Amino acid sequence: MKKLIQFSNIVKEFDGQIVLKGINLDIYENEFVTLLGPSGCGKTTLLRILGGFLEQNEGRVIFDNEEISKLPPYKRELNTVFQKYALFPHMNIYENIAFGLKIKKMSDDVIRQKVMTMLKLVNLEGYENRKIDQLSGGQQQRIAIARALVNEPKVLLLDEPLGALDLKLRKEMQIELKRIQQEVGITFIYVTHDQEEALTMSDKIVVMKDGEIQQVGTPTDIYNEPENEYVASFIGDSNIIEGSMSEDHLVKFDNHEYTCVDFGFKEEEIVDIVIRPEDIRMVGRNKGKLNGKVKSSLFKGVHNEIIVETQQGNKVDVTMTVSNKKPVFNEKAKEYISANSFYVDILEIENMNDDEVIARADAQAWLQDGEDYVSLAKVEYQVKSEEGTYPLTFKTKEGTEITVNIFVVKQKYIQDEKKRIGVAAFDFYKNIDELKEAVAIDTDLKTWADAVAWDLDTDEKIEITNVDYDFDVEDIKEGKYTISFSTRGREFKIHTIANAEEDKVVGLDFNPEDIHIMSKIGY
Amino acid sequence: MKLFSRLVHPYVVWISIFVLAPMLLIVLYATTTSGNGTLTLQFTADNFIRFFSDELFINVLINSLEIAVITTLICIAIGYPAAYFISKMNAKQGAILILLITLPMLINMLVRTNAWIGILSDNGVINNVLGFFGFEEVKMMYTRFAVILGMVYNFVPFMILQIHASLSKMDKSLVEASNDLGANRMQTFLKITLPLSMPGVISGITLVFLPAVSSFFIPKLLGGGSELLIGNLIETYFITTGDWNFGSAISLIMAIIIMFSMYLTKKVDKGGRD
Repeated sequence: MKKLIQFSNIVKEFDGQIVLKGINLDIYENEFVTLLGPSGCGKTTLLRILGGFLEQNEGRVIFDNEEISKLPPYKRELNTVFQKYALFPHMNIYENIAFGLKIKKMSDDVIRQKVMTMLKLVNLEGYENRKIDQLSGGQQQRIAIARALVNEPKVLLLDEPLGALDLKLRKEMQIELKRIQQEVGITFIYVTHDQEEALTMSDKIVVMKDGEIQQVGTPTDIYNEPENEYVASFIGDSNIIEGSMSEDHLVKFDNHEYTCVDFGFKEEEIVDIVIRPEDIRMVGRNKGKLNGKVKSSLFKGVHNEIIVETQQGNKVDVTMTVSNKKPVFNEKAKEYISANSFYVDILEIENMNDDEVIARADAQAWLQDGEDYVSLAKVEYQVKSEEGTYPLTFKTKEGTEITVNIFVVKQKYIQDEKKRIGVAAFDFYKNIDELKEAVAIDTDLKTWADAVAWDLDTDEKIEITNVDYDFDVEDIKEGKYTISFSTRGREFKIHTIANAEEDKVVGLDFNPEDIHIMSKIGY
Repeated sequence: MKLFSRLVHPYVVWISIFVLAPMLLIVLYATTTSGNGTLTLQFTADNFIRFFSDELFINVLINSLEIAVITTLICIAIGYPAAYFISKMNAKQGAILILLITLPMLINMLVRTNAWIGILSDNGVINNVLGFFGFEEVKMMYTRFAVILGMVYNFVPFMILQIHASLSKMDKSLVEASNDLGANRMQTFLKITLPLSMPGVISGITLVFLPAVSSFFIPKLLGGGSELLIGNLIETYFITTGDWNFGSAISLIMAIIIMFSMYLTKKVDKGGRD
């Protein structure tokens, strides 16, 4: 195949912001090339530079062995299908398509013949006298394609042309576009952010991010052998795991070694491992390479998406003491008062003031009628920086009082030196009524226990994803309950037509060639 | 919705009293003889016959239309390029220029027109400068030139604003598409930009032609007696002569001519777009 377009070291800046960071790319004759990336990755900018609507700050664009950077758009042998079609509203369909040919001063009968052929190509015969606003989005799109193709360009540029269409029409147009490209046999350069669109139509996909090309390859290459974590996560669903290469053909993650087909990495090199969800098979317990517990199963139409946890996250257990203490009533003043005992870390005790004590104990007093709050006039307690139980008394002006306990403890604290994660939480006291009033129980439990997880090295917060307990809030009784908080463990996403019950332990199996290893470049 | 539609009622009353009634009165005056009592109305076509049988009146009418057409054409010639370049600028610069164009309109038209007398008169600014360089004095005041200059000066902002509005509304990708299809700048302008900005040009024409054809104080101030326009004629018959019947007839003729020319421009505009 002949090389048709060559971008060499294209750099583009907008107001001091670099949008393209030195793009090198070759495009050949008769190729369907897709520039794929999220918005702001520079794909449209690159297309507009090729179209002649923008000029690069550095680099060269070679078209058919000729440098075209200084050529105005109307002298370039390529045509564009614009994002919003850009059909001329003051002309009918025929005049729109004929526009380029009339500019070239072709004779009327030749123009008529060519326009009619194009209308046939895009399946809109008999529409030539319609006005633009009488057409649907999909039809306008086809006219825009016909208007560009009638000039017989060597390259057709398409800037997210299907973005404005609904899903069904988009699918139809994808097939239509591919057919047209094969029929006219010219190069199509297609810009999109839709990975599925790219996989369906392209001969070659160029994955871009932040003004740089991440990978160039056929759809199968890009899907099966993504070069880095970014490409893997952008194209299709994947399980991306950090691991290390023990030696060629042997990769290690979560303390186990697995055979793979990749080689050529340094020994003990940290790598990203990609396993596609559809490449993992669910088998019986102990029959696969890994065992795990089914966490969820979602129906996705053709397949089920099952999440299997093969390794638990870091966990800390706390005890919740549930009491059924009613508020204290003062007959004389017609006041109620209530408060909870609470636990406090030995290191925090010195910094505690009255406001914080009131908040921690959730202490409040209110009038019997009207529910008006009464202020707490006195907070009495004496604590030492020593583990132990200390009485705490709250009093109102009228002398209504309640006594609870402050338990000074060392906080429950778990450090995983290997994964460099810390998890901590407190035991706590709650009243039955408070529990029943809780709206989002998992979040409330996290708040009450002050459960946190963090990265030991960076001190960054890590989300606590699991809150496990075995009681039903709706009819909870007095007593002690264990609640465990844990971070996200190792989870595998699996696409399968089989189904699995939650909490069932299953085995997971995959082939060595389905483990894709990528170096961690740029991360 | 019902509340809103009721809000329109006072306006309907207002329109009927202050717009519709006077117009009907003009029609009534134009078609009756003078000195009528309310009960003894005498209808007549004399007023119209008088207008069309006197060459003087016909000439005034033609002169008015001529000056209005010339003014409008000059306004397009100045206004279109100005609007075009403003629409090509970035938003900030464009907004400043539009502000500068609208700014003089905040000052009373009469004051601004009077200022021209100081500039154009025989011992005004221009003639002083010319004299300084040894040129002969040029007579500018009380000529057709001065009248047209005054009108263009007063009305050109309307043209610029209208054309600018339609140009800046235009989808920029249409120009890119035209370039992409092989049309150079000139071809793109003639085939895309110009036709798509025609609605702006048409409303600009309406906004310039109408006041120009019926203006009476600009020809009075800058044209003196030399340029008698239809507006002056109407003014004379209403205020100086007191012949309200004939004055009304001229007004009516004027109104019909204006309505007809508006209809024609609309028609031309539609024809251009089909």
